[in-house]
Amino acid sequence: MFKYLMLAGLALFLPGLYALGYSIFEGPSAWMVDSRTFWGTPISLFVFWIGLAHAGTLLSAIFLALDIKLDRRTALIAELSTLVCLVFAGIFPLMHLGVVENFYMVMPLLDARGNFANVGSPLVWDFCCIAVYALLSLVFFMTHLKTREIPALDKYRKPMAWLLFPLVLWVHTVVSLDFATAFVPEWCGAFFPVYFIAGAIFSGLALMNLLLCSEGYRVRLLERLQLIFSWFMCAIWVWDLMLKGSLCTSAFIFAGVLPQFRMIAVIRENKWGRIALSLSVLIGLFLERLYIVSPEFGSYAASPLNWIDWGLIAFSVGGFVLLFFGIRRYLSWKMEGAGSYFGEVDGTDLADAEQQELEKEGARGIEKPKKGFYIQPWASEEYHVLRLPLLVGFAIALVYSIWVLSQSVFANVEFSFANIVPLLYPVIALVTTVTLYLRAYFVEHAFTLHRHEKWMAAILLVLVAACAGTFFAGGSSQNSTNTIDSQSIGVDAPISQSHARLLWNARCATCHGVKGNFNEKFVREFYPVPQKLDVQRLDSLGADSLVKVILNGRANMNAYAGRLTPEEAHGLVNYMYSLAKEGEK
Amino acid sequence: MTALANSLSCLIALGCASFLWRKGSSPYRNGALLAGFLVLFCLFTYFAGDISVDPTLEHYPFRMLALCLCLSTTSLSLYRRRYLVLAQALWCWIELFGGIALYYRGFDIAWTRILALLSMSLCSTFLSKISKEMEFCLMVFWLAVWVFF
Amino acid sequence: MGMDRREFIKSCSLVAVMGLLFGCRKIPLEELAGDLPSLKRFEDEVKLALSQAKKSLDLVKIPTPGALKIPGASTLNRFGMAIDLDACDGCGKCILACNLENNVPLVPDEDAARGRFMHWVDMRGSAPFMCAHCGNAPCERVCPTGAANHTPDGLSAMMYKRCTGSRFCGANCPVQARKFNFNDAQKLGLARQFNREVPLRDKGVMEKCSLCLHRLQNDRLDFKTKLTVGATTADAEWRGRGVKTACAEACPKNAIIFGNWLDEKSPLVKLSKNRELYAPRELADLDPSVVFMRGRR
Repeated sequence: MFKYLMLAGLALFLPGLYALGYSIFEGPSAWMVDSRTFWGTPISLFVFWIGLAHAGTLLSAIFLALDIKLDRRTALIAELSTLVCLVFAGIFPLMHLGVVENFYMVMPLLDARGNFANVGSPLVWDFCCIAVYALLSLVFFMTHLKTREIPALDKYRKPMAWLLFPLVLWVHTVVSLDFATAFVPEWCGAFFPVYFIAGAIFSGLALMNLLLCSEGYRVRLLERLQLIFSWFMCAIWVWDLMLKGSLCTSAFIFAGVLPQFRMIAVIRENKWGRIALSLSVLIGLFLERLYIVSPEFGSYAASPLNWIDWGLIAFSVGGFVLLFFGIRRYLSWKMEGAGSYFGEVDGTDLADAEQQELEKEGARGIEKPKKGFYIQPWASEEYHVLRLPLLVGFAIALVYSIWVLSQSVFANVEFSFANIVPLLYPVIALVTTVTLYLRAYFVEHAFTLHRHEKWMAAILLVLVAACAGTFFAGGSSQNSTNTIDSQSIGVDAPISQSHARLLWNARCATCHGVKGNFNEKFVREFYPVPQKLDVQRLDSLGADSLVKVILNGRANMNAYAGRLTPEEAHGLVNYMYSLAKEGEK
Repeated sequence: MTALANSLSCLIALGCASFLWRKGSSPYRNGALLAGFLVLFCLFTYFAGDISVDPTLEHYPFRMLALCLCLSTTSLSLYRRRYLVLAQALWCWIELFGGIALYYRGFDIAWTRILALLSMSLCSTFLSKISKEMEFCLMVFWLAVWVFF
Repeated sequence: MGMDRREFIKSCSLVAVMGLLFGCRKIPLEELAGDLPSLKRFEDEVKLALSQAKKSLDLVKIPTPGALKIPGASTLNRFGMAIDLDACDGCGKCILACNLENNVPLVPDEDAARGRFMHWVDMRGSAPFMCAHCGNAPCERVCPTGAANHTPDGLSAMMYKRCTGSRFCGANCPVQARKFNFNDAQKLGLARQFNREVPLRDKGVMEKCSLCLHRLQNDRLDFKTKLTVGATTADAEWRGRGVKTACAEACPKNAIIFGNWLDEKSPLVKLSKNRELYAPRELADLDPSVVFMRGRR
């Protein structure tokens, strides 16, 4: 089963890869862009995949935090789908850039030249939130995977779930702010955070239901939620229609009307019926993203999707199927036999799972709280685990925000607290998680790593450090000859004494002094003292060689060939003679 | 939107809140009610205020929904404190990020309202068993935040 | 299936690599590069753009621009322009002058057919229209790298080397005054460096009207040099007097007036004194520096 899905994925992925390569080479003109906006399909796909990436954390973390039971297999599939979706959600914003190799300039960290990103830009928030979300989701997934081997790790799952709960919503809120902060009339909407979150959860549920179909079982709770969210989405679309007077009809039909067929028992009980329902939701929501990103799409005949757009869609869909089922197959092939990583529970007998869990917890000596069991304020177990790391997280976030507010490197742009609020929680969550796991490893010895895992961690650390170092250092500081014209500016004719004096004062006086008597402070600080200016020395060097020195430079003297004409250099040498004569008087 | 319509809206939210989370009600009923309330709030906002002029009304129905959720949590029988805090956090969320979106388009953020909500959701985590009087106080506080801040 | 897993993975990765390589191959268009486009082509493109200009302007009254409110702003200089709608007849000479001054490249035919020109000056409602250098510019607020930023003198400037081409600024400009380099104009033979003081822009970066920043910088340098020599007797502050943008210089009707909003002696302040000032409706709240004027007050 998984093998055939992987093959199908591969069949979509490879032509898509070609489209991706072509569009990176060709740049943003490759895909459809309407006449008013600049983004097109890659950003639609980004919003779509980042929405799907919420399935995992929503279902696994939020359900765990809120004590809604979900079996291990469903939870792991959800978490894995998050990670795979994030891979594709991460590719699109990077490949859509005009100058792809400059992407690191979006990181809100100082580089060696003192350049700092504009942290008031929603794109910077995006970058940080998604990076932190990907890292934390990976940690959450690995923790869950490892609990079979090391039961002590289970203690950290629920605190992590509480950390991820706001983060997952935060990520999509920030994505919505890319649009909501802009002046495009179709994007104006202070309600966009809720709108996007609802859409993300809706599409995430549909993806989960689809993936569960491939696993051969179903979780009715998720299907019910999918139906309920379709109503909620319709309500939000009603408001969008009232505000802007336009509605994406196809999205409404696919994601609003068709899911209602779940109420018919024949469709609901048939596997293919369920697949069709989930697919229709996914298609509808993708069309909606397309409509949001390029409002003129559909109404503007001159900008239909071209083959690159279809290729990018095929790339992400095929790539997701390939990667997801590849990992899924690898995990079950390698590990299911030895300790059944993905669990045997098939969702229909949750009671069984609950019973098992109860027994397990009884064995660990934890009394299972009854439903509605009263916990004293600030006394829950997960709070105790989180307390110190959270404190560290808040402290670092505070320090970071003060540092960021003091960085006004070159942007004369107004800055206030509201500009950096969206960066705060990702910083808190990141620092808290790192502290939590460092403490668990070094202080509490809650888990150990195999030798190859240690090696992997070390290599990863070195790689991250190397990347950070490279980004800090930035590219070469040579002037690009492509853009800065290396021809001289002035006219090629003998110049007057007064013109030479102006030139001397503009170009030479900083080091050599207005009267040729050196700017001693500057010269002593930065360079050895240049030769003293007198007629005898000028005569011994000769005017021609002096012109060459001016044009080509020598030792610490810069070359001025691009900025002065030979005639101007001659004029300067003559002016130097007159200065020297004046000095001797 | 006039002050009268604004105070009327919180009464509507209060009325709607009483229908939610009845004992033994199915998730379908609650989900349909929430979606229905949202449409109702949208209609109310559409007719009570001029949405083409005032961009601050863009998230008004969602704020009403958050208020409605806050008010409805007081009648929960299980995990009441948790959902009380979460509902307030949701309201705060809508206010804060709606505010940031509007801030970029030249409007001020309602910091007093956000701070009041934030501090109240922090404070309410300290509440032990919530008594009837406390419930009433909380509701009055929310309505006051709605009307005056 | 007749292959084992390793072989399967190997062949998959091979095909993937080939796909990428094929995608990255050079397209034959490059052969066109070499000879520079003639001036005639630039003139023709301006004519084409003029024939396509349809958008009318929705103007609202605004007060006279004052000092900037951003941190670090100069209290002496705020450069801007006023376009006299009573004098302008929409001849389009300013567009060509701007293109030659700032080395604005041509666009390929398919872009031209869709109205996607690189011209810094558009014609809207038969009047020239360019970046308004808003005091409260929305493009600068959303630029992730700080490539779009404000100078103390009130210019909304672009740092081409710092631009990653996220195009967020373009999306957030309410009047679409920003132009994106979709094509590598230098490779396609569509760019020509008429003016050596302005660099050619690379593919993938945003650009827009710079208010002829280089002319202002030259004047400032000249002023400072004269100051050190003592060749000037004027007051010690540079006010950018005597500078004109290329479009203002080229206008046969003197309908484009460049100057310093904070300088009483500037032609801009003098000539706009008794006029009604207007700005596009979308920009009215953003404190624009480039405005329109019409009628007498």
